[in-house]
Amino acid sequence: MIASIALIIFGLTFVTAGIRAAIGPTLADRVVALDVGVVSIMSAVAVDAADTGSTRLVPVLAVMAIVGFTATVAASRFIEYEERAT
Amino acid sequence: MSPVAAAFVLLGSFVSLLSGIGMLRFRTPYARFHAAGKASPIAFLLVAIGASLETGWAGRAEFLVVAVALVLTLPVAVHLLFRAVHRTEPVPIGRDDLATDTGKDHD
Repeated sequence: MIASIALIIFGLTFVTAGIRAAIGPTLADRVVALDVGVVSIMSAVAVDAADTGSTRLVPVLAVMAIVGFTATVAASRFIEYEERAT
Repeated sequence: MSPVAAAFVLLGSFVSLLSGIGMLRFRTPYARFHAAGKASPIAFLLVAIGASLETGWAGRAEFLVVAVALVLTLPVAVHLLFRAVHRTEPVPIGRDDLATDTGKDHD
């Protein structure tokens, strides 16, 4: 019961991140929104690990953390050096 | 789930909801980055603490690795984003959110 409430709330966070990704005036807003989406998915997986007590999915979290970080860094470098690239 | 773990998990989900709402309501991009970059790792930390109460010592070690990886990398990434936005088209910090706290005028 508790896990489903927490999952619903993380789903709401994902929806707000999606709304910000849709609205976000600047590109950077969209990057941050996607990053918050990734972290909310990670938290949902952690809630599932808490609910079932199995650490089957925990390595997924490590991969998502690193991939989310790399994506944000790549996007911020793109934003910063955009005028030279074109 | 033990009640303590459930409490941690619910607290983490509320903090995550706060970061989502903060990202929607703040007007300047800087405040939005701040809300997203700070609150979401804390939300994950709380849920990870709750989850580590449930799993054995091996699970706690795995959650520690993931928590350290996230807490070290996410703020750095959001900071890089701050810097990228600030260097290309600096956003004038209006009269709201940050200007009142930092005490000096940016316009």
